[in-house]
Amino acid sequence: MMRPKAWVGLGLVGFVVLLGIVGPWLAPYGPIDQIEGANLVGPSSAHWLGTDEVNRDVLSRTLSGIRIDLLVVFLAVPVGAAVGVLVGLVTSWWNVTDVITQRVFDVVLAFPTLIFAIALSAFIGPGVWTIALVIVSLEVPVFGRLVRTSVRSVREMPYVEAAQVTGAGSWWVLRRHVLPNSLEPLTVQLAVSMSVAVFIEAAMSFLGIGVQAPHPSLGSLIKDGTTLMYDAPFLALGPLALVLALVLGLLLISQSLSEAHRD
Amino acid sequence: MTAVTPPRPFARLRLLAIAVALCLMSACTSAVGEQNDRGSTGDPVDGGTLRVAAKTDLIPKSVFGQSSDGGNALIGLVYDSLVEYPHDSLEPRPALATSWKVAPDGRSIHLELRDDVTFHDGKPFTSEDVKFSIQTIADPAWSVQLQRTAAAVTGFDTSDPHAITLKFDRPLSNILDLLDIVPIIDEDTFDQVKAGTGYNGTGAFRFAGWKPNSELTFDRFDDYWGGKPHLDGVDVKIVPDPQAQASGLRSGQYDLLLGTTARDAETFGKDKKYAVLDFEGATQQTYVGFNLDNPDLKDVKLRQAVAYAVDRERILDEVYRGKGIAQNLSWSPSSPAYDEAAAHHYDRDTAKAKDLAAQVGKVPTLPLQYIAGDPTAEAVAQIVQANLADIGITVDLQPVEYAQMYQRLVGADFDGLWIFGHTYAQYTPATLPVSAYPFNAEHNASNFLSDQYAEHADAAWGAPDPDGDVAEDAYAALNADMIDNVWLTDLVTFWPRIVTSSSVHGIDYTKRTELILRDAWKDQ
Repeated sequence: MMRPKAWVGLGLVGFVVLLGIVGPWLAPYGPIDQIEGANLVGPSSAHWLGTDEVNRDVLSRTLSGIRIDLLVVFLAVPVGAAVGVLVGLVTSWWNVTDVITQRVFDVVLAFPTLIFAIALSAFIGPGVWTIALVIVSLEVPVFGRLVRTSVRSVREMPYVEAAQVTGAGSWWVLRRHVLPNSLEPLTVQLAVSMSVAVFIEAAMSFLGIGVQAPHPSLGSLIKDGTTLMYDAPFLALGPLALVLALVLGLLLISQSLSEAHRD
Repeated sequence: MTAVTPPRPFARLRLLAIAVALCLMSACTSAVGEQNDRGSTGDPVDGGTLRVAAKTDLIPKSVFGQSSDGGNALIGLVYDSLVEYPHDSLEPRPALATSWKVAPDGRSIHLELRDDVTFHDGKPFTSEDVKFSIQTIADPAWSVQLQRTAAAVTGFDTSDPHAITLKFDRPLSNILDLLDIVPIIDEDTFDQVKAGTGYNGTGAFRFAGWKPNSELTFDRFDDYWGGKPHLDGVDVKIVPDPQAQASGLRSGQYDLLLGTTARDAETFGKDKKYAVLDFEGATQQTYVGFNLDNPDLKDVKLRQAVAYAVDRERILDEVYRGKGIAQNLSWSPSSPAYDEAAAHHYDRDTAKAKDLAAQVGKVPTLPLQYIAGDPTAEAVAQIVQANLADIGITVDLQPVEYAQMYQRLVGADFDGLWIFGHTYAQYTPATLPVSAYPFNAEHNASNFLSDQYAEHADAAWGAPDPDGDVAEDAYAALNADMIDNVWLTDLVTFWPRIVTSSSVHGIDYTKRTELILRDAWKDQ
């Protein structure tokens, strides 16, 4: 039976996902439409979240910006997870490849996330695909390490030895025995990584190395809002609430999965 | 039938309330004005260090090129010039030169120099230092915008250590601009300038140290010829984010900001704890440039379409908060080159812009580069992008780091369109087409070369009287060149605004946006 916190988490994430899917159709304006004479207008019935410094409707930009976060959450994280699991499964079965791969993972994980992001954007330029690449690059070692732990413990199990004695190949053993036994911690990590990905997008766009003007993301909208914090404190409220909902929802889901796993 | 307005109760009371409100507003406005003029009130107090936040750091190899806030602060504090223009006029006043006289044929100028001036290391200032300074500025290696004017000084009579005669092969209408701009530098310690490790000048403050991307520090020079400064020193912190600057001022971390947005300045101006100083004569311009080496920008009709499409009034109102002039040429109304019709030739006309763009045919996506992390540049870029979308031109916004933007400007190496600021239109009009990177007729950032433009620039430069008929004809021809060829189009002419805490007094600015702090002081 699902725990209440799982329902709350699913509700929050579902709400943001729904807004991201249908929001742009409901938005009163295009995300980069500049409305004549509507310079930093406060929240009103015409502009629920006000307008920004170049006369754009913040609600419309927020609804459009959700999609960037959904892209990094539901595309970049799963891609990173899939690659990490595959690399971890394959390389940790044999000692030589395991040692080499783990040292490479050490190098990647030794970089603080934002330093890594800044370095990468210096090479390939800022943008949404840079955010995605940063997230994929950071998730590969995380999931690779996690699946390695399972591989190293499962491969010593008697049923694995029995399968190998009966002539089962390494690939079959990995697929049939190791991977299924690793799934539960992987799902918990997936939810945690998704919430971290929202932070990474927000942080990169906040620093100006993520989504570039005039296109919106929740992170860049928060950045725009803080730039005008004294004159228009309302600008950042909507995007902040959505980032909060997405991160909180994903963390609640991961907690519930973790607790269910322990039970 | 005549409509009758029904009598309104409390109408007189309302009028009275409005009158009281207006009085209160005018009282508030005066209070703000007083804040802005505070430099002249109260008795100066000695001591204290002025903490300045600047947006961009010193670039040592471009230190004489007005390349950054940090560099400008250094030049203003450490060095003196021979003459000084007040920021709001072109009437020079004595500085290291006590008097000067231009020869009747315009081919030389004689200057009497102060005899009581020493550099910070104790070396006396002489006419040889003037010669070395002008020759250094004339060296193309320093990429100084006045290089051509400095190079036009072909003879130096330094027989008297306290007087000098500069000789030219031709009259130079902007010679006093050069004397205002050239900092007097010391030959003996010049290797330190090249290395970025030391700056020995005659100014009110001594260079004490530089931590790249962090801070510049200056100490008071007790033997300053103009009298001992009030402040003990000046710390210039490099704070690229205007929001961080504003927060730092509010929290008491800084006393003076050199990089607030117009909107922040407007907000600070409403608070008596701060003062906003407007330096109206030291105008600067924001413009859209076109690199004519980009094949897509070779057709002048496309450039004219862009010039007609941009909404300058909106940029002035919304980004610069109305503090400036929306016009397509650079001259201020007080300049002898100002021509109102020419300045508004490209006032927004979307239909004309569309028509011109249609004549060009299909235009590929154009790159538009602007300063990364600068909210003002980003807002202007986004408005320009929307304006060009209205006429069917797609623009790809590309933020570029400030130092790289500056390099691209000097090297004429932008990809297509760019948005940046320029200056020098506040000087004698010949200085702009002879010296400014975007306008220099010999080599400019747009790679625009025209014999006709060069000829007109030369005519303005050689005019015996910058306000005379010959010069005026040359200015008119230059304006026509700028309108016809549109290698750049100005958006807004604005003036620098410095925000300070109300405890700071006596701040001044040169015409080229360098801080003058010799009379500045802080409440203790």
